[in-house]
Amino acid sequence: MDANTLIFGSMAVISLAIFLYLGRFKASSKQTDRDDRIDWTKRSFSLWKIFLYSLVLVGGIVLVLQFI
Amino acid sequence: MSNHKALNMFGRSGNPALKADTFSQSARGTSSSGGIQSMDSATMTLQGTVNKTGILLALVVLSATYTWNLFFEGGAGAVMPIAIGGAIVGFIFALITIFKKQWAGTTAPIYALAEGLFLGAISGIFEAQYPGIVIQAVGLTLGTLASLLFLYKTGIVKPTENFRLMITSATMGIALLYLVSMAMNMFGSGGIGFIHSNGLFGIGFSLFVVAIAALNLVLDFDFIEQGSEMGAPKYMEWFGAFSLMVTLIWLYLEMLRLLAKLRSR
Repeated sequence: MDANTLIFGSMAVISLAIFLYLGRFKASSKQTDRDDRIDWTKRSFSLWKIFLYSLVLVGGIVLVLQFI
Repeated sequence: MSNHKALNMFGRSGNPALKADTFSQSARGTSSSGGIQSMDSATMTLQGTVNKTGILLALVVLSATYTWNLFFEGGAGAVMPIAIGGAIVGFIFALITIFKKQWAGTTAPIYALAEGLFLGAISGIFEAQYPGIVIQAVGLTLGTLASLLFLYKTGIVKPTENFRLMITSATMGIALLYLVSMAMNMFGSGGIGFIHSNGLFGIGFSLFVVAIAALNLVLDFDFIEQGSEMGAPKYMEWFGAFSLMVTLIWLYLEMLRLLAKLRSR
């Protein structure tokens, strides 16, 4: 087994173990007791707004590309 | 409200998330100590969602192993029809899961198996070209998952409505860019070059996409956390695990692309 497999393989196994262990616990009160939490029960912005933002992003990338 | 009525209301929602009435059923899964949630609850729990994510991951690895071995035995010609079939079936079952969340217990495992077939073949192709790249991508993807979960649970990363708007818009922007590139490729104009280039801009773009895919994990964590807090129906455990799996698969593919660009320089 080479060093690459050993390092990244261990990283994968340890990370998976952390996910499976940590995932069972509730998030800290610092995370859950906030006024600005996402309200997943409603959509607070329209799809048009998202579409407009994404168009601006794509336009921005294309513009940057033109100058490079 | 009865479970049946809650399911109906939930099913009718066009919202990718949850309805308030469904959440308010109860938060029976929460233990008084505020620690690990019990597993015998009839509502969505963190433990249940994590277990189901583990099952979906195992299914992805299982079917990926099949196409991975097939690629190294028979070459790309033998594996491509299965890979393309897997991608199409996976896409169809992803759409069914999104629109029929109640069916997630059946459709999410099928999605995982189908995507595994695709991932195994793609991984084999990358591995043949850049030996050792797949284990690097797997390690980095799972490393990102664990790190972001830690940052989320400890409250260091706090998703807000603006955060959600930005990440959703950026995700849609990237999807739009990929679609335009695919359409340009179909009409023979070569696609948008910088997306695939191994130059500085191409690598920068890949880094940006990896960051957006990773931040989508935070949204998934928040969705799952709130769903279990507010007592969403049990099938939402499968849907939460499915959402996480979609993001993880995307993140893995982008990691592979980024590493391939870096290795090809």
